[in-house]
Amino acid sequence: MHHSKAHIWFVWPAIILMIVILILPIFLAGGISFTNYNLGNSSFEWVGIENYEKMFSRKTYIKMIISTATYVLIVVPVSVVLGLVAAIMLNSLRFGADIYKTIFFLPVMATLLAMAIAWEFTLHPTLGIINSFLANGCGGIREFILGFHWLPWVSSEDSWYSVACANNMDFPYWLKDKKTAIWTICFIGVWQAFGFNMVLYLAGLTSIPRELYHAAEMDGAQSTWEQFKLVTWPMLGPTTLFVVTITTIRSFQVFDTIEILTKGGPAKTTYVMMYAIFEKAIQQNITSIGAAITVVFIIFIILLTFFQRYVIEKRVHY
Amino acid sequence: MLARHYIGESWKHGLLIIGALIVLIPFYMMVSMSLKSQQEIQSISGGLVGAQEIQTFPVCTKHGYTEEVCTMRPYKYNFWFAFKKAPIPRYLMNGLIVTVSIFLIQVLIALPCSYALAKLRFKGREFVFSMVLFCLLIPVHAIALPLYVMLAKAGLVDTYAALIIPWTISVFGIFLMRQFFMTVPDELIDAARMDGMGEYSIVWKVMLPVAIPALLAFAIFSVVAHWNDYFWPRIVITGNRDLFTPPLGIREFRGGIDSDEFGPMMASIVTVTIPLIVAFIVAQKRFVEGITMTGMK
Repeated sequence: MHHSKAHIWFVWPAIILMIVILILPIFLAGGISFTNYNLGNSSFEWVGIENYEKMFSRKTYIKMIISTATYVLIVVPVSVVLGLVAAIMLNSLRFGADIYKTIFFLPVMATLLAMAIAWEFTLHPTLGIINSFLANGCGGIREFILGFHWLPWVSSEDSWYSVACANNMDFPYWLKDKKTAIWTICFIGVWQAFGFNMVLYLAGLTSIPRELYHAAEMDGAQSTWEQFKLVTWPMLGPTTLFVVTITTIRSFQVFDTIEILTKGGPAKTTYVMMYAIFEKAIQQNITSIGAAITVVFIIFIILLTFFQRYVIEKRVHY
Repeated sequence: MLARHYIGESWKHGLLIIGALIVLIPFYMMVSMSLKSQQEIQSISGGLVGAQEIQTFPVCTKHGYTEEVCTMRPYKYNFWFAFKKAPIPRYLMNGLIVTVSIFLIQVLIALPCSYALAKLRFKGREFVFSMVLFCLLIPVHAIALPLYVMLAKAGLVDTYAALIIPWTISVFGIFLMRQFFMTVPDELIDAARMDGMGEYSIVWKVMLPVAIPALLAFAIFSVVAHWNDYFWPRIVITGNRDLFTPPLGIREFRGGIDSDEFGPMMASIVTVTIPLIVAFIVAQKRFVEGITMTGMK
């Protein structure tokens, strides 16, 4: 270690920027959320917790919480499990793993906004290849498989697929129907995120020592599933924790697909928090409400990270 | 035994191929639409590339071009007309300016700071480091609104500065570099001091070259994130087309989705999306490494 004054010039620019760009805005948002301030107005009044009361009582904001929670609670587990399954499968392949890896990672790299538009057309009721694929499959093997006719309790007349075929090709409108919009948005979220999780899991898998599997075999864990339970899953603990946290934080911030595809609709079923902040504060210029949502949002994220650190200290060890 | 093994393997390939096909659907749709004619798009015919019959495009003649100019194969027309309608090179240039400036400033700020945190002893070092750790919790998108208010008050909306300023401090970069510098032996720095180098020269002439692998990973992470970012530019660029980054351009192309021709629209989207995808496919290993490495630390 060395003594000089150089550190001042090394550290202060970063400190100042951290304060001005990252910390000050939090306090600013906190301050604005207790006022009726709008950008452009010269004066404002303190209104106490009025903005927060609105947020937790008005239907719009209740719907906002519901759609955000739905999105996070679907996308996180599904994309994590898919990422893990894909990683384990690729890891056990003798050839071809690299090609699949490239393909599954493409959505992570590609500009999400462009891909949202591509999905919009893919899912379009009349122009899209999804619904034309379904319509062409009426009466055929596609109807049998996707209509779940192979399940003993699904009769071949009442399945969703057959009903749509019978009703003049009345297939789902995906993004335009309030029953399906949020699920479609979730699907695109999973499509985009799971490749990232897969790559992290692949990295995690390569760091598991081979000997552990031999040892598990010695102990009588013969089947793949038993070995997974005994070795793979516990050893991937830290990776899983990281993957879950980062996917959660990213899912909370979903915006691009919403703005392009649904604008929060239909009937506010896809009205997620980031879109709400954008719509209220930027488009409608109600800065104070936007600030209140921002504060709640930040609290969510900080709680989540503390929870993660707590779990790291308590549970994940081997 | 061997046969069973192959059955197991092909079963996996079967599932993975279905997965890969689902993942590729929108890419297929995007490329296909950028090549086909409007009629083929609307009737969902022609497969991936369409028939590519030479024809005259009515939207083109409506824009005042002669019939002769407007007669060509659909794929050519889509891309040609895309470039006629929007300043695509400008958008790509803006993307480049913004991402490269962000990355350079991030390094300029983060590298000395992380060196100091890893290798210099000074009062308050622990405090600065815990500040970095705290700031790691704050996603910039989450505080976009107050940042926007600050920039608007400073009169910076609709400028390059607004696109760049919020990203100049990368606490993540500081953290990553600090972890990396911790692994650099002190002897290397001591030797440099013996040679009479000052701390500034040590940062840029000794530590920077040492940090190249970590910097490369960080560069990929940073450039990909900001090239693709849509939320922040959407907020601070309100109308000035000259400042549009690629995602804002994409949004503009989409414009009137029901009235316009889809082919040129998709062609512009493909053009804007492709640089990054090509870079990814060419330097795939580096990209995956960069994103996992920066992700795991």
